[in-house]
Amino acid sequence: MTPWDAPAPPTHVLRQAQARAEWVTEQARVLAHEGDGEVFKLTLAAPEIAGRATAGQFVQIHPVPVVRPVPVVSPVPHGAPAIDPLLRRPLSLCEIRPEAGEISLIYRVVGRGTRVLAALQPGALVDLLGPLGHSFPDPAAGRGRLVLVGGGLGIPPMAAAARWAVQAGRPAVAILGARTARYLAGAREVTASGVEVVTLTDDGSAGERGVVTDVLDRLLNATGTTEKRAGTTEKWASIGEVWACGPEPMLAAVKERCAAAGVPCFVSVERFMACGFGACLGCTVPRAGGGYLKTCQDGPVFPAEEVVLGGL
Amino acid sequence: MTLGAAVTDSAAGGAAPDLSVRLFGRTFRTPVWPASGCFGYGREFAGVLNLAELGAICVKGTSVEPWEGNPGTRVVETPGGMLNAIGLQNPGVDHFLSVDWPWLQQQGATVIVNIVGRTVEEYVAVARRLEGSGVAALELNISCPNVKEGGMAFGTTARGAASVTAAVRRATTLPLIVKLSPNVTDIGEIARAVESAGADGLSVANTLLGMSIDIRRRRPHLGNVFGGLSGPAVKPVALRLVWQVAGAVKVPVIGIGGIMTGEDAVEFLMAGASAVQVGTACFVNPRAPLTIAEELARFMADHGYRHVADLVGAARPGLGTGQRGDGAARTAAGSHRGAGSPSGVPAGRRASGEAAESLRQFLKDADRA
Repeated sequence: MTPWDAPAPPTHVLRQAQARAEWVTEQARVLAHEGDGEVFKLTLAAPEIAGRATAGQFVQIHPVPVVRPVPVVSPVPHGAPAIDPLLRRPLSLCEIRPEAGEISLIYRVVGRGTRVLAALQPGALVDLLGPLGHSFPDPAAGRGRLVLVGGGLGIPPMAAAARWAVQAGRPAVAILGARTARYLAGAREVTASGVEVVTLTDDGSAGERGVVTDVLDRLLNATGTTEKRAGTTEKWASIGEVWACGPEPMLAAVKERCAAAGVPCFVSVERFMACGFGACLGCTVPRAGGGYLKTCQDGPVFPAEEVVLGGL
Repeated sequence: MTLGAAVTDSAAGGAAPDLSVRLFGRTFRTPVWPASGCFGYGREFAGVLNLAELGAICVKGTSVEPWEGNPGTRVVETPGGMLNAIGLQNPGVDHFLSVDWPWLQQQGATVIVNIVGRTVEEYVAVARRLEGSGVAALELNISCPNVKEGGMAFGTTARGAASVTAAVRRATTLPLIVKLSPNVTDIGEIARAVESAGADGLSVANTLLGMSIDIRRRRPHLGNVFGGLSGPAVKPVALRLVWQVAGAVKVPVIGIGGIMTGEDAVEFLMAGASAVQVGTACFVNPRAPLTIAEELARFMADHGYRHVADLVGAARPGLGTGQRGDGAARTAAGSHRGAGSPSGVPAGRRASGEAAESLRQFLKDADRA
């Protein structure tokens, strides 16, 4: 029996393998900022956060340095306060490169906050809190093949997840889907990590035409069989876990399929939030069995069975 | 950097301004406190600041039993502000006393417990549980719906506000601060009613009722439809309310509403507040209460104010023109109002002889500067 044939640990055991680093405040310089007017990739020099973060965690970003130094000499009594946009915006980490002290974030312009963010030029300073929240479970703690499911703007965090899996020597495959080719942002970064990638679009403008659950179904149905991959000697193991990030209906569909197949599933959810570090109680997600969990602190990555999805 | 360091390094020269304030018979290290609902029970902030350096922490609104909070979207940003409809989610007073309060004491924090209830009896029960605990004060959130009065908030009528204040007053020996609702026609009338019912201080004010609509989904953003507006957007309204309340009562007023900088805090003090609370700013900059206190110290040093009390009410007619030294002059004359105790005996004031000496010293320093 190969190690991959051993039964996967249950979700509550894997939950303990989720990292939750102490967060810090960090002013980060914009190294690169590229976009098509709607979807942008922001690369930042943030060595503190890059050194602490793991896949699935996020940062709270503000386009001006709001954690201002106390002026000791300047007669001006304060730096630039944040008035509009007022609050930070939570963005999942796409790439985490502690060796370079860099992180990257991919976001879509959806409102005032992201519009201001989109105007940032290389060299500008932004204000970060991070890394925030719980990561995906440590891939070294689980067994079996990892299936990473990313939908739309849920794709970018899968790049960090894929890199982590590769570093841990865990076999992984990524299923990445979007409405159309331009919303596949982050797929290139996932592919660069070295995991096998299947891409899909609703309109067939890139990859296969279809949705992520089509491919997930095929993989889950093949679970338990041990196939030999063409061109490699590595055995295709049964699916150990599924990690998903994307629109909530997609997460609900992935959760349902995993539950039916008996495969542990972790979902990364998204909410409006004010603080991002557990103080405002604004980003709650209903807990299975009653009450609420905080997306920022208890999540954003939850064992799927802990949360009620589709509530918003 | 500690507050002391910030002040000692002051380039303005002269003695460091004294940020401490004396209210309700005790000294608070600074007059800039994190506001209830924006600071949890302090734990989330302990990694980025020393809780003992804060003047006080107004902890999350706490009820007799745990409250679950509201379903659906709870926060949304609006121009210069944010709406929240959290629903006062909290773990209850027993959890506070057994888990959070011992931890807060270990941190050396000064704690004001904000209390909430759905009936007068619930408020009273929380106050009784906190009696003898050693917390610095109670802050009554009277913006909660009164279930026995059809859900109308206690704080929207003088009678409702006074009845809950009087009941809690009888149940506690702790200093009692009442946090007023801004969603009223005549806040002065309510402030006077609450003062008569035994409040030792008034927090002005809670959030303004507002709403916002998601035009793509054709529905309100918030699950609760309405929410409380906070942030810089409310500052002019809050300042006006502080001005009105400070003119209507003798007990100290604590100003709240959109304070983001030390200069904002100065405005509230000059309007008549004896201390301020910082809420939404904590979400943006978790160090905000300390940064704002440091900026306040900077303003005081630059403008020749030695004591916070010298700023209190400085913009009010008949209380000075904002010139250097006016604050100290008022202190010496004992004419300053706003930091008095309910009995009318000025609490937290220096003895007049001491104040006169302080004034002489101040003027000497001012001449040298």
